Amino acid sequence: MRDDPQCVDCMTALVEVQDLTKEFRTFKRREGVKGAIQNLFVRERIIVKAVDHVTFSIEPGEMVGYIGANGAGKSTTIKMLTGILVPTGGRVVANGFVPCRDRRHYTKRIGVVFGQRTQLWWDIAVVESFKLLKELYEIPDADYQKRLGLFSEILNLKDYMNTPVRKLSLGERMRCDLAASLLHNPPLLFLDEPTIGLDVVAKDRIREFLKEINRLERTTVLLTTHDLSDIEELSRRIMIIDRGKILFDGDLAEMKKRLAQYNQVKFFLKDRAQAASLAQITTDGISCERVDDVTYLMRFDRDKHSSAEVIRNLVNRLEVRDIFIEEEPIEDIVKRIYLSGEVG
Amino acid sequence: MKRHLRLFVLYFAQYAKVRLAYKADFIIAFFSSMAATVLGFGFVLVLFTKIPKLQDWSFYEILFLYGFSLIPLGFFNVVSWNLYEFGDLYIIEGRFDRILLRPVDTLFQVLFEKFRLESLQEVATGIAVVTISARKLNISWHAADYLWFVVMVASGALIYLAVFLILTAVSFWFEDRVGIVPPVFNMLTFGRYPLTIYNVFIQFMLSWIIPFGFASFYPTTHFLGRENFTIYFHLVPVVAATFAMLAVVVWNRGVANYSSTGS
Repeated sequence: MRDDPQCVDCMTALVEVQDLTKEFRTFKRREGVKGAIQNLFVRERIIVKAVDHVTFSIEPGEMVGYIGANGAGKSTTIKMLTGILVPTGGRVVANGFVPCRDRRHYTKRIGVVFGQRTQLWWDIAVVESFKLLKELYEIPDADYQKRLGLFSEILNLKDYMNTPVRKLSLGERMRCDLAASLLHNPPLLFLDEPTIGLDVVAKDRIREFLKEINRLERTTVLLTTHDLSDIEELSRRIMIIDRGKILFDGDLAEMKKRLAQYNQVKFFLKDRAQAASLAQITTDGISCERVDDVTYLMRFDRDKHSSAEVIRNLVNRLEVRDIFIEEEPIEDIVKRIYLSGEVG
Repeated sequence: MKRHLRLFVLYFAQYAKVRLAYKADFIIAFFSSMAATVLGFGFVLVLFTKIPKLQDWSFYEILFLYGFSLIPLGFFNVVSWNLYEFGDLYIIEGRFDRILLRPVDTLFQVLFEKFRLESLQEVATGIAVVTISARKLNISWHAADYLWFVVMVASGALIYLAVFLILTAVSFWFEDRVGIVPPVFNMLTFGRYPLTIYNVFIQFMLSWIIPFGFASFYPTTHFLGRENFTIYFHLVPVVAATFAMLAVVVWNRGVANYSSTGS
């Protein structure tokens, strides 16, 4: 946005996205041999709006979780924010740049990780990849050494620094990709499904690393994920996109408060015989789901019933050994949003 | 420029290291490349056992031309691998995303990501054959001729590169696998013989549409003393520069049009 200086002045946000839209033009493909021949001559154009007037802004130091079902528009948004795709409409200003216009300067000041695809060179050793990146990003020697030392300590990279990337396990590769994306100390980091396919320990290590970097360098992070525990662990802010539109943008706690419809009570019966009296408690908007012979999950509308009342009712009628009260899991809230395509 | 040169050396060294780590693979590639070159010359030898002259071109003149054509081609082949696979690997598989995320020119990154090292053999063979045939033909070399020779080799390599860059950039618009590159690749062999042996249509095409004539035939006419092609000879660097600029424009348009893979 160098040629539009008044714009830079009025912005305090690190990322400013306004009415961002991306349309893809494709052709309808007919099936079968006959269809294939028809395709050669008459092609029916279809326009798909992958991202539809999306507006949001991100402040320096924020960690934002960006979620949505497959094909909702997450990756397309990230690709526009990183400058890979040119928007059809609207605008993006990040780090003071218009990403797709000033790509070569902009990419020096962002880090990008795509969980599905490595950014490193497949055949060469990790440390050699890092050295190439050092040259590409013109990182001074001292900074490079310092950051490499820090990363290999937190991420424990030492054991496979000399292994070619293609021989690494997914978890190891992901750690290397993360380190690679941050070698040039970018203030802004984009992560597209960074924990996809990783085991619990590997996920945890990556989350800890991100928290640490965010704390040490105030690195701003925008991450997409299908694993909602990533978001619960990392970010306070969540954005939900569905069919190209932002459905929710706000605090995670706020989302739970606003969108959770029920609470659940998990209880263990003293013995099987108690199950016979279950029917007594499942009335008036209270449902009860069997987990096993003695374990049951009761859900009730939080507006209609209070937990205290429900539990009192429960212990009065049945002999119960243990009780756990839980909020509606975030997965369920999100599932409901994906299925209905609307919030609330 | 200095930075790019540095990066080039690094890319090259890095790739050479990987390639030479698989010795057997490299040796096989080297010998199959060598075999193709030798077979090509074998064909010329056999041809000239049947005929004394090809039009008014003598055996050593043809050999000179054939040898020269290998030099720019060899340099081009060192990087051509990346262009040959570009549509499949970079566009359809979406590897181009990674290229766009780095703060260096896209063309630089694509061209120098892989090197066909064994093709340097073509350069060496070409120089050897040119030296031998020049001696047999008693060509006298002036200081300026050496300079011209270098300019011609550079121009030839640039022409090959420009033509294939333009064809490669087509993948930015048509993601369907278009098989336009392989047939043109096969046309490279046309330039190994004097253009005068072809009909007018092919002569025109190899000069002005796909200017392979300017990468092999016209450059040699000066050294072989064929004065009637002097204008064409001097046009060689001009044609090379024009096509190179055109290629860069087409490439950049293509990059702007790139729409990346689904998710």
